[in-house]
Amino acid sequence: MDVANLASQLNAGAILPEGAVILTLMVVLIGELALGRASAARWTPYVAIAGLLLSVGLLCLQWDLTPTLSFLGSFNADKLSIVLRSIIALSTLVTILMSIRYVEQAGSSIGEFMTILLSATVGGMFLCGAEELTMIFVSLETLSIASYLLTGYMKRDPRSNEAALKYLLIGAASSAVFLYGLSLLYGLSGGETHLSAIANALAQGTNHLGLLIALVFVIAGISFKIAAVPFHQWTPDVYEGAPTPVVAFLSVGSKAAGFALAIRLLTQAFPAVVEQWQFIFTALAILSMVLGNVVAIAQTSMKRMLAYSSIGQAGFVMIGFVIGTEAGYASMIFYLLIYLFMNLGAFTCIILFALRTGTDQISEYAGLYQKDPLLTLALSLCLLSLGGIPPLAGFFGKIYLFWAGWQAGAYGLVILGLVTSVISIYYYIRVVKMMVVKEPQEMSDVVLNYPAINWTPLGMRPLQVGLFVTLIATSIAGILSNPLFTLVNNAVVEVPHLQTANAAKTPMAILPTTTPELPAPLVSNSDSTAL
Amino acid sequence: MPLEFFLLLAAALFCIGIYGLITSRNAVRVLMSVELLLNSVNINLVAFSNFLDRQNINGQVFTVFVITVAAAEAAVGLAIILAIYRNRDTVDMEQFNLLKW
Repeated sequence: MDVANLASQLNAGAILPEGAVILTLMVVLIGELALGRASAARWTPYVAIAGLLLSVGLLCLQWDLTPTLSFLGSFNADKLSIVLRSIIALSTLVTILMSIRYVEQAGSSIGEFMTILLSATVGGMFLCGAEELTMIFVSLETLSIASYLLTGYMKRDPRSNEAALKYLLIGAASSAVFLYGLSLLYGLSGGETHLSAIANALAQGTNHLGLLIALVFVIAGISFKIAAVPFHQWTPDVYEGAPTPVVAFLSVGSKAAGFALAIRLLTQAFPAVVEQWQFIFTALAILSMVLGNVVAIAQTSMKRMLAYSSIGQAGFVMIGFVIGTEAGYASMIFYLLIYLFMNLGAFTCIILFALRTGTDQISEYAGLYQKDPLLTLALSLCLLSLGGIPPLAGFFGKIYLFWAGWQAGAYGLVILGLVTSVISIYYYIRVVKMMVVKEPQEMSDVVLNYPAINWTPLGMRPLQVGLFVTLIATSIAGILSNPLFTLVNNAVVEVPHLQTANAAKTPMAILPTTTPELPAPLVSNSDSTAL
Repeated sequence: MPLEFFLLLAAALFCIGIYGLITSRNAVRVLMSVELLLNSVNINLVAFSNFLDRQNINGQVFTVFVITVAAAEAAVGLAIILAIYRNRDTVDMEQFNLLKW
């Protein structure tokens, strides 16, 4: 059989963006070997950035194509997966910008770092479109194993070692539990591995208890990936021990991949028990919002504080997931998009401060405004945006989420979200106050000895570019939120299984009950975009 | 032999794996427990595949992937344990307490 014919049958064009990333990965890996480690630091990051930009460009080109299943139904390149894959590719892109100087200063090889980071990206991107159990498992493990390696990348640092070991053991155990759930799902559906076929087979079956056990195992695996309480214990340890750029990637890219997995697997394979999984995720959302935001107050290390804040943020995102309406899914993905920029912006600032002073302690930020106004401004904007202060991007993200929740009647969740948002504003503002308000005599020692601002060393320019890009995106994405939200809405509307998840729920109050054939998502969409 | 026997064997192996995971102090033993978990999944998949899905044998194909990924995971795990042993001269889980919450 000739190759071109086979390729057209498999519809391999759908994974061109991943192909671009894999090609870049190979170029970086072989190029570093051939040209030597010393010169690799100068060119590998830029090759990786070019490859990721190409990948995002290819994803944009695929936007208007009709969504098709490729690889015999294993991979779905619909608009939902395009948006999520772009989020992961972009998060890697910004992570690379901030990591060049960091890895260089730590004295490690940058070419290998890029290779592992790109393989994690490939895993995450495949996970966003995976529709088949084997594919889901392999791409999830590609992402996970690459993340373990990244966490332990500073191999002479015992803290990085310890974080990697904890992450690996907990991660491997949770993926084994997840896999056990998948094997039960395979058995219960009578030997199906495609998600839609599983759903069809399960709809006829009556083995409710077995299905619930499979559901619990699967949710345990997914919750580990998105760091939902009570599966969050690894998060603070890993975030504190791992290299900071890796933490930035884990908190955005890896988490987005986890949510992509949750959307696809739960809505598509478990429509029979939609009430139950929504109930479990409601509990996870409540616990995550409360524990993440409350424990963050007590932290003294900036990285640990952001670890707990990311747990809380995942709780907010889960609100959009559990209500199960079109607007909910759309606002959830919109929030992930906004969160990408504001969280990576905050991490860029932390890396910059750590590179100049060598510390992560919150108290050491005191009086920074006097010495470095740009860093202070950037960090303040990103933190305020994470807290949800208007008119920054985070505010609009939260508004859409809470509005979607309110419309769907999840009043308790939304009120809890508002209360915990207020708590989160407290600890974000505390850092801002520390930097801005302190008098010169209250400055911390490291800020007193702050080095002269110098953007010339290798890797500082990309960091500056990353800082400005995230800063601008955080500032104006709020004002430009309408086109972005429309884009995300289009992505969600065209996914059929999200509508079936919606239809299983009781119709919302705003729906005219006399015309049941009216497509429900359109009504809720127009309402939330008109906001 | 009925399908239930295989499922019970897999479930028992899974429970032993979880028990080992929780109680072991040696990091290598924890890694071995994870392998037990993955192998219990393999038994499950092969049993289901043999009883329910004889045409496509999706489960057996899945098992090959699981074994491959398990090997990769064990390699990475041993590498990390080696790195930590070089720095700390121990693989005792109770000694790894630099990161506290």
